[in-house]
Amino acid sequence: MSSILNALSVFFIPAMLTFIIGYGIIKRAPIYDYFIEGAKEGLQSAVEILPFIIAIFVGIESLVSSGAMDFLENAVKPIFAKIGMPEGLISLILLRPVSGSGALVNLQHILETEGADTLTGRAASVMMGSCETIFYVLALYFGVTRVKQVRHALPVGIITYIFGVFLSVWICSYI
Amino acid sequence: MMNYIWVGMLLLGILFAGVTGNFSAFTDGLMESCSNAVQFVIGLAGIMAVWSGIMNIGKKTGLMDLVAKFAQPFIRLLFPKEKNHETIAAILMSFSANLFGAGNSATVFSLQAMTLLDKENKNKERASNAMCMFVAVNMNMVQLIPITVLKIRKDTGSVFSESIIIPGILVGFATMILSILLCKYYERKDIE
Repeated sequence: MSSILNALSVFFIPAMLTFIIGYGIIKRAPIYDYFIEGAKEGLQSAVEILPFIIAIFVGIESLVSSGAMDFLENAVKPIFAKIGMPEGLISLILLRPVSGSGALVNLQHILETEGADTLTGRAASVMMGSCETIFYVLALYFGVTRVKQVRHALPVGIITYIFGVFLSVWICSYI
Repeated sequence: MMNYIWVGMLLLGILFAGVTGNFSAFTDGLMESCSNAVQFVIGLAGIMAVWSGIMNIGKKTGLMDLVAKFAQPFIRLLFPKEKNHETIAAILMSFSANLFGAGNSATVFSLQAMTLLDKENKNKERASNAMCMFVAVNMNMVQLIPITVLKIRKDTGSVFSESIIIPGILVGFATMILSILLCKYYERKDIE
């Protein structure tokens, strides 16, 4: 099962490329010219999103390096313990919504200290794969638009994130 | 909204740095994060150029219209008002790139889709239903193989590193369904 899925992931990009270029060949289109034209636009949009990305990185770093994240972590620890969340997961649960790379480092730390095949280790791995960096994604995606009110994108993101965290722990305690 | 969040993040950071006496770490962190951001975008720029180029081939040869036509019934479920073939193609590419864990490529398609959705948005200040649905579903898209996680598990001595794949897919699927239902609920409550 997992090897089939793995193969799918590996073949996804080459298959897509073959499909698009193959279609172009059948249509006898000037593929190279089209590519260059599109690539130019792509580079332009990379420059356009740069200011937004710098803003997000700086904002997140401000919370992490000032110690605000640590403070928050300590503040909510007792609450998490009360509802039966493994204590080792707390920092990951708080870090995951804002920073993908930070969460990866944290996951490695959890797996090293708690063990990769323990409940905490497995739940952390599942969470990492299926719960998103919601605040980062919201800031980045809406950053390239002119939207000021994100409406229900925020509550839906938060609710599904919390649901995903609980479900990860629950599923791992059964499987 | 970004205005408040961003200012809040910075002020909170400055406040905490002051309380904990962490000003030098705070300043170093900020400086470093700026160059990290630029590096991130430079890394992204190459992939962005390649995918924009490839997508342009699809667009100009008419393949995109073909695919969009095929996907229309599925797309209509989530985005009832969406007609533009280019937007549909970008949404599909973004969903499938996320599904297959194509990392930066997924980000590129998502940003492209958001830019297109923004152009179609009637009230520029407020996010459209389609934007909210796209962001919510994309955030909760199932990832078939979380490659980085598997690697970290193997490196940290897991004897069965792949045991998390199926639970991960189940959780991803459940959160995706929930995000669709919640969006539909909010759409009814808060008219666009």
